[in-house]
Amino acid sequence: MNRLRVLCLLFIGGMAVPSPVSADLRVFACEPEWAALAREIGGEKVNAYSATHARQDPHHIRAKPSLISRIRRADLVFCSGADLEVGWLPLLLQRGARAGVQPGKTGHLMAAEHVPVLEIPKVVDRSLGDVHPGGNPHVHMNPNNILILARELARRMAILDSENATHYRNRLSAFSDGWRKAMDGWKRRVAQLSGMPVIVHHKSFTYLFDWAALKEIATLEVKPGIPPTVSHLNKLLQLARTTNVKAILRAPYDPSDGTEWLASKTRIAQVELPYTVGRDAGPGALADMFDRTIALLEEAHAKP
Amino acid sequence: MFISFARPGAAIALAVGIAMSPPVLAQSTTDSAAILKEIKALKEAYEKRTAELEKKIKALQAKQTQQSAKVSAPASTGRNIKDNSFNPSIGLVLNGKAAGFSRRTAPEIAGFGIGEEGERGSEGLSIDETELNFSANIDDKFYGSTTAAIVREDGEDKVELEEAYLQTLPGSGLPDGFRIKAGRAFWTIGYLNEQHAHADDFADRPLPYRVYLNKAYNDDGLEFSYVLPTDQYAEIGGGVFRGDDFPAGGSVSGMGGWSAYARTGGDIGDNQSWRVGAYTLRSDAVSRATEEGELTFVGNSYLYAADLRYTLAPTGNAKNQEIILQGEYFRRLEDGTYNTVAYDDKTSGWYVQGVYKFAPALRIGARYSRMETADTPAGLAGTAVDAGEHSPETYSVMADWTNSEYGRIRFQYNIEDLTDAVKDKQFYIQYVMSLGAHGAHSY
Repeated sequence: MNRLRVLCLLFIGGMAVPSPVSADLRVFACEPEWAALAREIGGEKVNAYSATHARQDPHHIRAKPSLISRIRRADLVFCSGADLEVGWLPLLLQRGARAGVQPGKTGHLMAAEHVPVLEIPKVVDRSLGDVHPGGNPHVHMNPNNILILARELARRMAILDSENATHYRNRLSAFSDGWRKAMDGWKRRVAQLSGMPVIVHHKSFTYLFDWAALKEIATLEVKPGIPPTVSHLNKLLQLARTTNVKAILRAPYDPSDGTEWLASKTRIAQVELPYTVGRDAGPGALADMFDRTIALLEEAHAKP
Repeated sequence: MFISFARPGAAIALAVGIAMSPPVLAQSTTDSAAILKEIKALKEAYEKRTAELEKKIKALQAKQTQQSAKVSAPASTGRNIKDNSFNPSIGLVLNGKAAGFSRRTAPEIAGFGIGEEGERGSEGLSIDETELNFSANIDDKFYGSTTAAIVREDGEDKVELEEAYLQTLPGSGLPDGFRIKAGRAFWTIGYLNEQHAHADDFADRPLPYRVYLNKAYNDDGLEFSYVLPTDQYAEIGGGVFRGDDFPAGGSVSGMGGWSAYARTGGDIGDNQSWRVGAYTLRSDAVSRATEEGELTFVGNSYLYAADLRYTLAPTGNAKNQEIILQGEYFRRLEDGTYNTVAYDDKTSGWYVQGVYKFAPALRIGARYSRMETADTPAGLAGTAVDAGEHSPETYSVMADWTNSEYGRIRFQYNIEDLTDAVKDKQFYIQYVMSLGAHGAHSY
């Protein structure tokens, strides 16, 4: 038994040795898009980590050990909010027990609290599916919102790491200038797509459609988070045949079988939009995402 | 209204008519003055009544609008009751079972004195445990939670207080990573002990939990935990307990147990995660009665445990597809007496299980669980502690259907070989449904 005791002690002792402290501002982003934005604004002064990768559905994540240790040392938690991460972020915040990133603190940034939120439900009931009482949380799909959040993020970074405040402000103005220019180009392009009717798997692109004036006429999911059923798909098939639907869209983490089936029955283009960026995406990745998204929509729109 | 306006009109016509007749004017100035006076009085009376009636109408109208406002109120404000947000989260778990056993009487787990909760459940239809949970942040420093289970025992519905604890919130003034939990809770020992039984992947707990922890250890006490500021997840903790709950029992001092643990874990690539832990629980059993009071242990019980959990979600989305492997090993040293016969021996128990989610709503799983017994002191031959040459073991397979995060129906088949030459085949159909507030996705 002594051997076991010694092993236990070694085990505890081994873990107690802290790793070298780095001077970087540590950002814990729930989704890759926010990690990418943190890298845009923070540059080499921040160490941004995304809790999820591009093919992971941020609604359903486990509060796994690696995330607890990440949030334990984070200076800033940057997430979508509006209950998107309600199944796991509160638990991580509690387990990681880091005071500076708790709700209400400077180190706690929820995107949906800083932009106009769409689709706030009037009635909330579990029979209605996976509804978010706080409204649709996929706010990053409107490029205006990225600009608003870049500003808020830079403000927070400047408070948390006041030594480098000028660095964050300079990077913010450089990023904002570039982004505004890019947005002018995107606006011209999406003007051609205005009113384009689309079907979507989950309501992941509501903000994009709102900004680009696309018409979402139906979702494959019966209700948010409730997978498509045969009868619902048949209804959509009728709808798709009678309206001029241009594309059937999904995010990378949505199952593809529903959109594929509907596309094969109707010959309407099915398109997987990027929705987010790579987990370790560097500068420019967010702009590329919007470029690609618009290009894919243009392609679908151009088809007869 | 009509009358009151018509009459003054007539009175005025009369007055005008009188004024238009000059021949009678000189002759009867006194008369006309009297008439005018009368008319004036009449007019005043009517005006008074008119004003009264108008007042009444106004009052009636006001009442009417008030009533209609009352009727329409729920439609406009009923969905926006802010004071409710200060109420605690309330969760209810419905847990029911239908069980069929090939042995009418439950076989003993050879070699061990078992507490009541560790015994085989009841046969046939039953609502196993109905759990009611209230939890909320108390203020900026504390969080509180209470879980009461309503269970059927000895033909009566009883309330068992499973958990009633408070816990420090991050930012309460303790150093980062540090937490204290006090009260009664499912304390940190192994993997399963911390979770409520309805969150398990199988309908019953594996053998070491039934034997060593009487299903779960939730003594009164206090526990601290500390997450280290390391890149790799590492957590240490420990607690002190009253010493009333199995494997302790009959606490006199009110301080009859302590524990310590350490855990670490991490990821392998994007879609695999793991966690391992080592635990110890020392208990002072002043008097631990088992086997329905037939066997009483007095002495020290040292329990050591190790657990491992590994998860693999092929696309990173555990919601759609996942493999979970899990195993726990327990070793117990007991130094004391069973029914006054000296006992100083070691036993152990372990289980391994795998669960495979092959479709978002469908999972299958298998589990093997086994106990290693000790030699029996001569004085205890023939009691529950006497294992003979047998090592108890169980085989389980299960399949469950998860309609949503909140509802699950499970089928399970067990072969339990607990006593020499006695095999108990068991079949379970179980439902677990949760209403209201719902726990987060812990690892």
